[in-house]
Amino acid sequence: MRLLDRYEEVVGHQEIERLRHLASGLKGRRIVHVNSTKTGGGVAEILGWMIPMMQELGLDAHWEVITGPPEFYRVTKMFHNGLQGMPVSLRPRDLDLHLDVNRENAQRLMLEADVVLVHDPQPIYLPRFTPTGRVGRWIWRCHVDASRPARSVWKHLEGAIPHYTAAVFSMAAFTRPLPCPMFLVPPSIDPLSDKNCSLPEAERLETLSSLGIDPERPLLVQVSRFDRFKDPLGVIEAYRLLKPYYPKLQLALAGGTADDDPEGAEVLREVTEQAGDDEDIKVLLLPPDAHRVINALQRSAVIILQKSLKEGFGLTVTEGLWKSKPVIGGACGGITIQVHDYQTGFRVHSPAGAAYRIRYLLRYADKRQRMGRTGHDFVREHFLLTRHLRDYLTMLLTLDQAPSALVA
Amino acid sequence: MNSPEPFALFDCNLARLAVGKSCTNLRELLDVVRTASDATLEHHMMRCALDDHFELYEFPNDLARWCWDGLGDDVLGEQLGLIDPYQSASPAALRAALTNVVEERLWVLDRVPWCKPGLELHLIESRVFAYATGEQFATLAALAEAIPRLPLRSLFYHVHEARRRTAGRTDDFSDWLEQYGADPALVAQLRAVDFYFLNLNQLRAEFMDIFRQHLPETQAVMMAAGSEVRG
Repeated sequence: MRLLDRYEEVVGHQEIERLRHLASGLKGRRIVHVNSTKTGGGVAEILGWMIPMMQELGLDAHWEVITGPPEFYRVTKMFHNGLQGMPVSLRPRDLDLHLDVNRENAQRLMLEADVVLVHDPQPIYLPRFTPTGRVGRWIWRCHVDASRPARSVWKHLEGAIPHYTAAVFSMAAFTRPLPCPMFLVPPSIDPLSDKNCSLPEAERLETLSSLGIDPERPLLVQVSRFDRFKDPLGVIEAYRLLKPYYPKLQLALAGGTADDDPEGAEVLREVTEQAGDDEDIKVLLLPPDAHRVINALQRSAVIILQKSLKEGFGLTVTEGLWKSKPVIGGACGGITIQVHDYQTGFRVHSPAGAAYRIRYLLRYADKRQRMGRTGHDFVREHFLLTRHLRDYLTMLLTLDQAPSALVA
Repeated sequence: MNSPEPFALFDCNLARLAVGKSCTNLRELLDVVRTASDATLEHHMMRCALDDHFELYEFPNDLARWCWDGLGDDVLGEQLGLIDPYQSASPAALRAALTNVVEERLWVLDRVPWCKPGLELHLIESRVFAYATGEQFATLAALAEAIPRLPLRSLFYHVHEARRRTAGRTDDFSDWLEQYGADPALVAQLRAVDFYFLNLNQLRAEFMDIFRQHLPETQAVMMAAGSEVRG
């Protein structure tokens, strides 16, 4: 069975036909995506399905990965934090390293294409070092909230922007004024991937057992990198506020690692220390391919948490909603367009707020179920990969029509 | 019945573009309704229908919703909710109506209302990318049978966008049915649907009800079966 056909069961024949129709106007177009890691993190996951789907739709799509020494990833992690507003201290040699690695990669990577989509800040300077005429259009895809970046970081990155025909952000709140059109394309999840497909009950129970989680007792789950912006310590605080009322409550904090995130180990140590000897708190460092484990955890949760202080789009929220779970999320970033009070869960502003809303939902099973159903339908309509792909195709076709008329 | 060209079904997708500006208070909203591009006002007053996720959303446009939820100005929310952009003769007329309401409100308030951080209105403009799907309907029955399974985007294109194209005169369905020689009562009923105040699922249900009233019993049963399959 072809890849697209498999999605018909989820989104219907009509949606797949529409995708084929749109893509027919882009047949043979050479599209290259460039990011900084093949494994770990939302971007790598998105590209993992998007490239083969674009290929099946007749586009000549490829995926290239920028590489550099460990020091490069430390610097670009600072860019990542700085873009999202965290104060960072950059030295001139950090900026030089970033440019040097981009220069080397521009020579090494296969970038000859009609359109190159550059994901996030790591490869942002590739256009400067690529010979003119090799790439038709450069498009910068920014996956994080860049609305209030640290000045030093933005001063460095904005020098790359004039090379781009357009930029893409996940939502309008993440943008800042740029001299090129800024398309809005929310990300999405793959409903058939190991992380989101339905699971046999035996596998789910076996997974819980292997992790030391009791399937008979209520479980709260937060899945995210061990990152301060995800506020794992705040989640533990909320859990501790609830424990006197629900002594059987369990909490799982499951985080993966990513090649481009050297800060994770330090945060993991803080979280483990905070969890202490409470056997009902499971701090799980999972390998990048533990998708089915994450799936089992999310399906076993009574409520999904994503108590971020700063968030990109928050695909773990989308995953939780898809599994028909209410989500309690920090009122920031993409969580605000996915979590709607009393509809799909609750937005919260503090550990106390999280504890209060969890307590409310633990009390009312019927409300949990109704919110779960609404969340599942909401994701099917707006946040599955077919919609994501449709938005990209529409953007490419729109740029073909009148790129100059799109500048605000 | 006449034999016009078959009804050609279109689908559409929005290319959404951030403008790079946002509103944090009522004075800024007034500036926006005075100076933002027509495409921005059209997006927040009309095309936002494609983003309307829940039936509990109270108002049919982004500006009214933001005044209610973001600014906490319920009076202005109610007033903006009542402005029907499809009744405006032109984008300039819509802009004038919005400016008048916001300016009037600002005039009588002692303090300018502000939103909390995180609740800003981020401005968007959009382009409708429409295309013929290749699907055609040659008869009233075929069109009626298709309504339950149309993507909501098609419904938006043939109703909301059609009204915009025709300065509020008609939607594509009733226009085609008129040429087809359908019962004028059916045409009039479809045209009279207060579509702006319905979300797209509600609009579909209303259209299905009207078609059922005008179809022979067997076809109405087929339509009902189609809607059950969809549900």
